Amino acid sequence: MTEHLPILLIVLPLVAAPLCVILHQRTAAYTLALLVSWITFGISIALVAQVNQTGVIRYNLGGWAPPYGIEYLVDSLSSFVMMFVSGIGAIVLVYAPKSVDDEIARSKHYLFYATYLLCLTGLMGMCVTGDLFNVFVFLEISSLSSYALISLGQTRRAPLAAFQYLIIGSIGATFILIGIGLLYQMTGTLNMADIAARVPQENGPRTVLVAFSFLVIGLCVKMAVFPLHTWLPNAYTYAPSVVTCFIAATATKVSVYAFIRVIFGIITPGFAFDYLPLDTELTILALVGIFVASTAAIYQANVKRLLAYSSVAQIGYMILGISMSTPGGLTAGIVHMFNHALIKGGLFMIVGCFALRLGSVKLDDWKGAGKTMPWTSLGWAIGGLALIGVPVTAGFISKWLLLTAAMEKGMWPVAVLMLLSSLLAVVYVWRVVETLYFSEPTAKVLKAKEAPLGMLIPTYVVLAGTFVFGVWTTYSADLAAAAAAGLLGATP
Amino acid sequence: MNSPALEQAAGLYNYWIVIVLMMTGFYIVLARRNLIKAVIGLNIFQTSVFLLYVTMGKVRGGTAPIIPPEVAEAQAKAMHETGHSEHGTHALGTVSEEIVGAHAAHADLPGADIIYSNPLPSVLMLTAIVVGIATTALALALVVRIREDYGTIEEDRILEIDRADGLPDDDDEDQWIDADTHSLAGSSPDTPTDSESVN
Amino acid sequence: MNWVVFAILALLALTAVTVARLRQLWAAVMFTGIYSFLSASWMMILDAPDVAFTEAAVGAGISTVLMLSTLALTGEQEQPTKRSPIVPLLVVLVTGGALIYGTLDMPHYGDPNAVVHQHPDPSFVERSLDDMHGLPNVVTALLASYRGYDTLGETTVVLTAGIAVLLILRRDEMERPAIANRAKRRRRKANA
Repeated sequence: MTEHLPILLIVLPLVAAPLCVILHQRTAAYTLALLVSWITFGISIALVAQVNQTGVIRYNLGGWAPPYGIEYLVDSLSSFVMMFVSGIGAIVLVYAPKSVDDEIARSKHYLFYATYLLCLTGLMGMCVTGDLFNVFVFLEISSLSSYALISLGQTRRAPLAAFQYLIIGSIGATFILIGIGLLYQMTGTLNMADIAARVPQENGPRTVLVAFSFLVIGLCVKMAVFPLHTWLPNAYTYAPSVVTCFIAATATKVSVYAFIRVIFGIITPGFAFDYLPLDTELTILALVGIFVASTAAIYQANVKRLLAYSSVAQIGYMILGISMSTPGGLTAGIVHMFNHALIKGGLFMIVGCFALRLGSVKLDDWKGAGKTMPWTSLGWAIGGLALIGVPVTAGFISKWLLLTAAMEKGMWPVAVLMLLSSLLAVVYVWRVVETLYFSEPTAKVLKAKEAPLGMLIPTYVVLAGTFVFGVWTTYSADLAAAAAAGLLGATP
Repeated sequence: MNSPALEQAAGLYNYWIVIVLMMTGFYIVLARRNLIKAVIGLNIFQTSVFLLYVTMGKVRGGTAPIIPPEVAEAQAKAMHETGHSEHGTHALGTVSEEIVGAHAAHADLPGADIIYSNPLPSVLMLTAIVVGIATTALALALVVRIREDYGTIEEDRILEIDRADGLPDDDDEDQWIDADTHSLAGSSPDTPTDSESVN
Repeated sequence: MNWVVFAILALLALTAVTVARLRQLWAAVMFTGIYSFLSASWMMILDAPDVAFTEAAVGAGISTVLMLSTLALTGEQEQPTKRSPIVPLLVVLVTGGALIYGTLDMPHYGDPNAVVHQHPDPSFVERSLDDMHGLPNVVTALLASYRGYDTLGETTVVLTAGIAVLLILRRDEMERPAIANRAKRRRRKANA
């Protein structure tokens, strides 16, 4: 049984999705989705434990060994990413029902939960597969379902945002497909490990170079790396609250994971960073992105959009860590994926609570909500502290690791710029705190009730996580360090 | 013109034409101001990528990777005679050696001299075509929805309407309400926004 | 044979450029269908009959039908745009240039010694002869067996698209409390 866990991870949500459609009843569909997402979370924890004990798990689908068949590969990195992606997916579903009832038509609920599960399937599939073309297929599953989920937003701008994301996302996916094709042309295989072993380093570098660039550009679109982030603010702003919580916390992270795989698992850092000056380019893009996006966040009147720009900035920190290509930097990048998923997931959940009670995500409509919705407002403050990176929060851990890694490499300017950029985060988090606590409440806010416990409890669980993993790093930073060591060790 | 360059051109012109096709599709997507035109461009872009893959699979003098029945039959018979490759050899992880051996043994069978083109790119593209049509279907559904809500599928027009509604960051959540109060009152279910730009 | 290929390639390029220039969306959709058919013909010559059939059925058939039915709902004329085409043109030229640069190290067209045809060894055709007990079509063998999970994924993509279209096209604003409440408030305000 245990040897089939990697495939169960995919097949369970995959089979549950059409079942949700067949059930056709909202409560039944919700219960099934909830159950399956928690089982998926359980399986991925089991996989983390198994990888810790026995090392890398390889699973040949259908018993066909690579390079003929498709191989699933669970190592410390992929199990780590799967753990937090499925974890967020599960907890957001606990949080979901009230918000979904409010924002999405009842007759659509069963379809909504089916699509949610499909999105989860796609994301998990991208993590677990060791086959490059299979990554493309799962990427499309997760993308198509997220376009549909985003289009369910409350305004007519939601379908438009979904469409624009679809066009940009499909261009990205087609670039990835071209990259995969060129790599296949030069190696004759689609299995990542096999490609890594067969990539002709001296022979035919031009094709490999172009293949690599196309893969990187395609993934940068999906990761929303500045300046290819244009789809993200609209998509996050106009999507239903629950969808934003889930997608913001997971989808870009999984693309970052795929990016790490491509650089360290296929093309080797030697080729990416020594032959190409990719590290300098990425560092510059990351820094510019952090500053531009953080500054943009300060000027937003819509809290969801504020957080969306902040997400673009946070992706910059991850890229910064990855582009250092030292164990320290890579660990920081990986652990920030996890920490940021928790923090941003929590913050968007808070936004969802406000949206439910106040019917708006505009900052002006939140004036004085600290009085009538104290717990929700406190949640924002807690999440905000973690986002800034105050000590004993998870955000501090990743920034500290990033900072030390930058100093180890002697990148003093980068370290200074990072500190400066945190000040920008202070500004945009403070703006909301100020509105919540130090403004005169409007009549509407005075009538508002505290968010329901069914939403507050999961939100606080996630926010508590940002503290737990800010102090106790066995299951975050240590796992990330193991993953980073595995990646750097595996490459010659 | 030296001859290596000419030879290269002769060997690669197929790919170059495919690239020109891909880029035409890409251009249509980037330069479009009409939503349907964007979908059309995406279609052409993707179809051209299919061509890129399929071109890779071709072997000069080869034929489609379909084994003539009589050859397949002869091979199957030969296999039974040597008694190899019954069930159980495909368990996890068994690869090559015995199959390589079997392959050598098959060399003198009829049809062993047929050159087949590579089947793998075809397989990948069958998957990609289906993914492509799924994307197209979803995109068109969104276009229909956008047309209902905005009354136009011209991107410039839509952005103008959005700007008229309010600041880009100030999403006016009441946009749909007009439409629905109207339709509740029994008026046309069509959207309230201007339809002057259509046609 | 060669001139047939040349003719198809020239027609493909011509069709693509025509689509780019056309403002009549109905005609553009038709030309996209033609483009798919031409692609399918070339795929036939490239020894990929399975892909050719699928492209003809899906690319030229289903997708044309879908687009035409969408056009029936949306109107079929593209407005002229004031924007300059220079930026997209530059992006496309750079991308295309990069791709052409990338082909320079590629094995030539049809080269039997290309890596794709040498690895894995034994090839899929030989493997499938042994594993599939005489199934003639190797593409089928790969699709359903060696890469069966890609096919499962592909089916899932179709399922996703189906559910998504249902989600998107069903109109439901007044069923949503969030929107209905706002509408109610607004009407009350208007009455007051």
